[in-house]
Amino acid sequence: MALTLLHRHVLDDHISGFETNANPNHLSVFRRPVIFSVLAKVGQERAVGAALEAAADIAVRTCAPGEWLAVSQTSGSETVAGQLSAIVDASSVDQSDGKVLLTVSGPSVRKILAKCVAVDLHPDAFADGHSTNMLIGHVTGNLARTGADRFEIIVPRSFAGSVFEELMEMGREFALTAAFAGD
Amino acid sequence: MTSYRLDSGGLVNRSYALTFSFDGKSFKGLDGDTVASALLANDQMLMGRSFKYHRPRGPVTAGSSEPNALVTIGSGARNEPNVRATVAELYAGLTAVSQNRWPSLSFDMGSVNSLLSPLLGAGFYYKTFMWPAKFWEWVYEPVIRRAAGLGKMVMEADPDRYEKSWAHCDLLVVGAGPAGLMAALTAARSGVRVILADEGFRFGGSLLSENLNIGGVSAADYATGLIAELASLPNVTLMPRTTVFGWYDDMVFGAVERVQKHVASPSPDLAVERLWRIVAKRAILASGAEERPLVFGGNDKPGVMTAGAVRTYLNRYSVAVGSKVAVFTNGGSGYRTAADLAARGVEIAAIVDARAASEDVVPAGVRVIRNGAVVATKGRKRIDGLVVERAGFQEEISCDALAMAGGWSPIVHLMCQRGQKPVWSEEKQAFMAPDVGSAFVAAGSAAGTDTVSAALRDGAAKASAFARDLGFAAYEANIPDVEGEYDASFAPLWYVPGAKDKAFVDFQNDVHVSDLGIAQREAFRHIEHTKRYTTAGMATDQGKLGNVNTIGIVAGMRGVSPAEIGTTTFRPFYTPVSFGALAGASRGEHAAPTRTSPLHGWAKKNGATFVEAGLWYRSSWFPKEGEKTWRDSVDREVRNVRENAGLCDVSTLGKIEIFGANAGEFLDRIYSNGFLKLPVGKARYGLMLREDGMVFDDGTTSRLGPNHYVLTTTTAYATEVMTHLEFASQTLWPDLDVCFTSVSDQWAQMSLAGPKARAIMSRIVEDDISDAAFPFLAARTVTLRGGLAARLFRISFSGELAYELAVPAGYGEAVADAIMEAGREDGICAYGVEALNVLRVEKGFVTHSEIDGRATADDLGYGKMMGMNKPDFIGKHLSTRFGLTAADRLQLVGLKPIEADKEFKAGAHLLKENAAPSMASDQGFVSSVCYSPTLGHYIGLAMLKSGRERIGERIIVWDGLRNSEVPAEVCAPVFVDPGNTKLNV
Amino acid sequence: MASLISCPHCGTRPKEEFSIRGAVVARPQPGAKEDAWYRYVFIRDNPKGRYQEYWHHAAGCRRFLVVDRDNLTHEVFAVTDATEFAKNAEVAR
Ligand SMILES: [Zn+2]
Repeated sequence: MALTLLHRHVLDDHISGFETNANPNHLSVFRRPVIFSVLAKVGQERAVGAALEAAADIAVRTCAPGEWLAVSQTSGSETVAGQLSAIVDASSVDQSDGKVLLTVSGPSVRKILAKCVAVDLHPDAFADGHSTNMLIGHVTGNLARTGADRFEIIVPRSFAGSVFEELMEMGREFALTAAFAGD
Repeated sequence: MTSYRLDSGGLVNRSYALTFSFDGKSFKGLDGDTVASALLANDQMLMGRSFKYHRPRGPVTAGSSEPNALVTIGSGARNEPNVRATVAELYAGLTAVSQNRWPSLSFDMGSVNSLLSPLLGAGFYYKTFMWPAKFWEWVYEPVIRRAAGLGKMVMEADPDRYEKSWAHCDLLVVGAGPAGLMAALTAARSGVRVILADEGFRFGGSLLSENLNIGGVSAADYATGLIAELASLPNVTLMPRTTVFGWYDDMVFGAVERVQKHVASPSPDLAVERLWRIVAKRAILASGAEERPLVFGGNDKPGVMTAGAVRTYLNRYSVAVGSKVAVFTNGGSGYRTAADLAARGVEIAAIVDARAASEDVVPAGVRVIRNGAVVATKGRKRIDGLVVERAGFQEEISCDALAMAGGWSPIVHLMCQRGQKPVWSEEKQAFMAPDVGSAFVAAGSAAGTDTVSAALRDGAAKASAFARDLGFAAYEANIPDVEGEYDASFAPLWYVPGAKDKAFVDFQNDVHVSDLGIAQREAFRHIEHTKRYTTAGMATDQGKLGNVNTIGIVAGMRGVSPAEIGTTTFRPFYTPVSFGALAGASRGEHAAPTRTSPLHGWAKKNGATFVEAGLWYRSSWFPKEGEKTWRDSVDREVRNVRENAGLCDVSTLGKIEIFGANAGEFLDRIYSNGFLKLPVGKARYGLMLREDGMVFDDGTTSRLGPNHYVLTTTTAYATEVMTHLEFASQTLWPDLDVCFTSVSDQWAQMSLAGPKARAIMSRIVEDDISDAAFPFLAARTVTLRGGLAARLFRISFSGELAYELAVPAGYGEAVADAIMEAGREDGICAYGVEALNVLRVEKGFVTHSEIDGRATADDLGYGKMMGMNKPDFIGKHLSTRFGLTAADRLQLVGLKPIEADKEFKAGAHLLKENAAPSMASDQGFVSSVCYSPTLGHYIGLAMLKSGRERIGERIIVWDGLRNSEVPAEVCAPVFVDPGNTKLNV
Repeated sequence: MASLISCPHCGTRPKEEFSIRGAVVARPQPGAKEDAWYRYVFIRDNPKGRYQEYWHHAAGCRRFLVVDRDNLTHEVFAVTDATEFAKNAEVAR
C-alpha cells in the first residue's frame, strides 16, 4: 500500500484565499521554497560563505558567523542538498518544512516593518541583499531586503501563524493584503 | 460678557464652526481651537475643581503644563479622564465633562474642605490616618478616594487600537518652535535625516502666539513657510501631535503620537495612539520655556493666568480672556501682554509691577503701579478684582482677568532624565539644562535665549554643528530680521508677601506657601522630602509650573540660593502616557506569540482539548462521546495504549542537529553519561547536568552518522538547552570541531506506543522494523510507503513497545492520519499529554516535576549515569561536593495509598507516621501524582529523605493546603512492568 | 523603554534581543581543586561600575558576547564575541 500524503502549509489556516487582488502593499507566502541551514566548520566561516555565495540559484541569508540559510525558489531540495554537500567544511540540514518564507512589499513596507522590527531599514543602513536575524514582533526570524520596497522574512514554522497575524495587524493601516505566491 | 472671541485675526478657521458639549451644555468653537480656547471664547472660565479643597479653577496656561483645566473627554468606553483642556484639540461632537465636583461644577459639596483647610495642611494624611491600621482599608481610603480622586476610570475594555513603532534618524529635534523649526531645516538642507516632533497639533510654538514680523511676514506665516519647506524634503519626518516623553539609554527617545485623539469616531484601521521609540544619533531639545506663575494670595482663582497664556489665547485663538484685564509682572512679558491686549481694544485695568523701575513700553493710557504687589483676589468662580498693596497702602482694582508674569524657566526635563540635574544660573535666575555630552543639546529658549531671533540663530547654529559632526557639509542658515521683539528679562520674585488668602505653588495638588513652611519646620527640609511631605510637584502635571517656585520659596525660607536647594529628580514621562500606548498592539491574541505543532490540525480533527504549555498549544486529551470528565478520556487512552496502541504528538520536543568531527566528544562533555561510543543508528538516553551538579535536562540523542547526531530536549527546556550548548561550544570549548542548529520546527514527531505499535508501523514504513532489524533504541532514516523519507526511533516513554516517527512538518498531519487509518483495525487511539503523563508515572520516568533544579542524578536513581571516569563533563566537578552525597538526601520513590480509594496531590509533604504535621518534621514531598487506570488507584512519585532505604515504609502524605493526611506506602518508583517485558518484544 | 547594544555580528539592537548570562569567569581546568570550582560556580564580585558580562544574542546571531560596560551609567566600553574574547585573554595570559 502506497501512502498518498498531502503536504500542508502552516498558513493554510490563516490565508483564506478570499482576497483575490493584491493591493500595493502585499504579503506573499511561498508554498514550497527549499531552505537549508548551512553551518561552517570552526575557522572555515569565510571559505564556506564564499562557496555558498557562488552556488547557482541559491540566495544566501546570513544568520550568524558561520551559519546561513540557503534559499532556493527554483531548484529542488535534492539539487540544493547536492550543491551544499559539495562545499568543503560545511554541514547542511534541510529546513524547508521548519521555516516559513514570506515577502512583504509595497510603498509602505518600511512603515509596516518599523512596527515589528527595531532595526533601521533605511537603504543606507540596510542595503538590497542584506540579511540578518532579528526580533520580528515577538519572534526571532531572518529578514532580508530583496528590493527597494521588498523584504523577505523567514520564521520558524511553529511561530509563523503568530508572525503572519502580527504583520497583517500592523499592515491594516496600509491595506496590506496576503496570498500564497502563485495562487 | 467677560471673555470672548474677537472679530478677526488668530489662527482659527472662522468658516468652520465645531459644535461640542461641556457638562452637557452645547457650545460652538472653531477649527484650530483647543477645548480651553473654545470654552473661553464662550465665556466659560470655570473648568474644574481643585484636588484637595475643591476650589473653583480655570486654565492658568495655554499648554501642556496646565494644572487646573483637567476635563474628561469622550464617553462610554472611550471616556478619558484628566485631559488638559489647554492642549485637547477641538473636534465636532467632542463631549467634555468637568471633574472632581459633586453635584455640579458650579455648586460643589466638596468645597466645604476649604473651610476645613486649617486641618488639611501638609502631612495631614500622614498624621491623621495613622491608626487604627485596619481603618485604612474600610474607612479612610474609600472616603479619601471619593473625595480626592481626579477623573473616574471606566471599567469597560478599551475599544481602540494602539501600536508601537521604531524610528531612526541622524537628528531628532524636540519642539517645533522657532529654534526647533530652524534647527530641523538647517540640518535637513545639509542632507541629515531629521525627525521633528512637537506635542501640539500645529507646528510653530511661540511663533503662533507672538505678535512679530519676521522677514516681512507675520511670525505665523513665517512658520508656515519653514514647515512647507521641511515637508517637501524627503529626509525629513514631521511628527505633530507627538510628545517626546523620555530620553533613555543609547540615545533612544520615547514618544507618543496622538494619531486619532482629535476625531469623533476613530478609524478602526488606525491606532488612536502610537508609541515611538526613536533612535537618534544626535538630538536637539527645543522645547521652549515655561512662564512662571507668581505666588500671591488668591493666585489660583479662575481668571488668573500666565501673561504668555493670555497672549496665546489672544494672538493664536483670537480670544480675549477678559474685557478688563489686569497685569501683575516682574518683567517684560507683562507689558507685552498689556500692549497686545490694548492693541486689540481690550481694556487694561492696571499693570502692577513688582519692580521699582523698568524700561518696558507702557501702552498709552495704562496705569502702572511700581513696587506693587497683589495680595488678594476678589470673586469666587471668577475674579472680579484685586487687592494691590504698595508702600503699605492697599487699593482695590476691579478687573475680570489677571495676567501674571513671573519670569521664565527653560523646559529642560528631557535632558535631566538620565541622572543629571539641571544647573542653577544666577544670571538667568533659572535652572538650565545640564551638560549631558555632545550628542544632545538644548537650543532656543530651552537653552535660555531671550528673543525669537536669538532662538532662530541658536537652532541653526546647533544644527549646523551636528551636521558637520555627522560628516555632512553644513548649510549656513539665513536668519531674517525679526521686528517687534520685547525684552523678556525679569527680576526674580518667588513669593509676594502680605497674602490675604492662600498663595498656591502647586495648583493641582493644592499646595500653598504655608505648607512649605510646615515641611521646613517639621524637618522635611531636603527638597525631595519637602516634595513628598507637601505633595508639591506630585500631581499629574509633575510640578511643571510650580516646582521652581517651590524651590525658590524654600530657598528664601532657608536664606540660601536655589542652587543649594537643587531640584527633585526628573523621570519619564514628561506628560502622562496612556497604558494603551505603552502596551501597543501587545494585548489579546497579540500579547504573546503562540506556537502550534505540525500535528495541531490532526489533533483538532480528533477532538483534542488543548492546553497551553509555555507558548505551545498541546493536545491534552481526546474526549469521546459519552465521556463525562477528562479522567474518563485519559483513563481510556492509557488503557488503550497498554492494551492496543495510541498515537501521541511529541513534536514540541526540542531537536538539535549536531555535526562535526568532535560532535561525540562535545556530547560526552555535555552529558553526564558517555556518548563517545554510541554506535551509528542508535539512540541513547542522556542526562545533562548544570555546572553545580544538579540535573538540568534529559532526552534521547541519536547518532545518525559518524559525525552527525540529533539531540532531543524536553519541550520546556528546548531553548535553554540550545543556549547551554551554545555557551559550551562558544565559550568553554571553541576549539572543538562541532556545529549545530535547531531543527525543532522541521519535524512533526509522533509517538506510536502499545503492543500493536509494530504491526501498525509496519503498514506505514517500508523498511523491516522487526525486533531483530530494528531493536530497542534503534534510530535511523527510513522510507515511508510511497517514498517519503522519515526518521524512526525505537524509544519509549510509556514502557510499551513504541516508536517515534519524525516526518517533515508539512506532512505531519497526513502521516498521522495515515497511522490512525492503518491502526484502526488494531484499535488505535489518539492520546494526549495527560495520558502521556500517566504512562510515564506508571513507569517511574522523570520530568521537570522531578528535575526541579534541586535533584542530582543519584537522587533520581540515575547514579550509574555519572561517567565519573570521563576527564570532564559539565557538572562533574561539583557533583561530589559536600551535601550532594549526603545519606539523607531526598531520593526518588514511588507512593501508593494504603487504602486504595484514597487520593493525594502533587505538592503534598511527607511525614513519618505519628509525626506532628509541621515543616519541622518534613520528610520530603510528592512531585507527581496520577490515577493509574492500570492499577486502579492513585500513584505518586515523591522525593523522600533516604528514600531508597525506606521501600515498604508507611508514611503520611500531608497536604496542608487541603488539610488532609493520607497514609501511603513507599515503593519503588516503577509501578508497571518492572522487568520491561513489554518493551523488548 | 529601550537600550541598545551593538553586536559585532548583527549591528545595533535593542536589549530585548539579548539575554544577560552573568559575569565572565573562566572555567577551571578539569583537574582544578574543588575550591576553584566553587568560586567559578557560586562566587561573584557584583561590583557597582565597570563589569564584564556575557550577553547572549538570543534573537540574533545566538553568539555569546562579552559586554564590557558600566552597570551604573550603562556606558558600554566594548562588545566582543566571547570566543574571540577568550582567545585574546589566553594570548594575554
Ligand atoms: Zn548578534
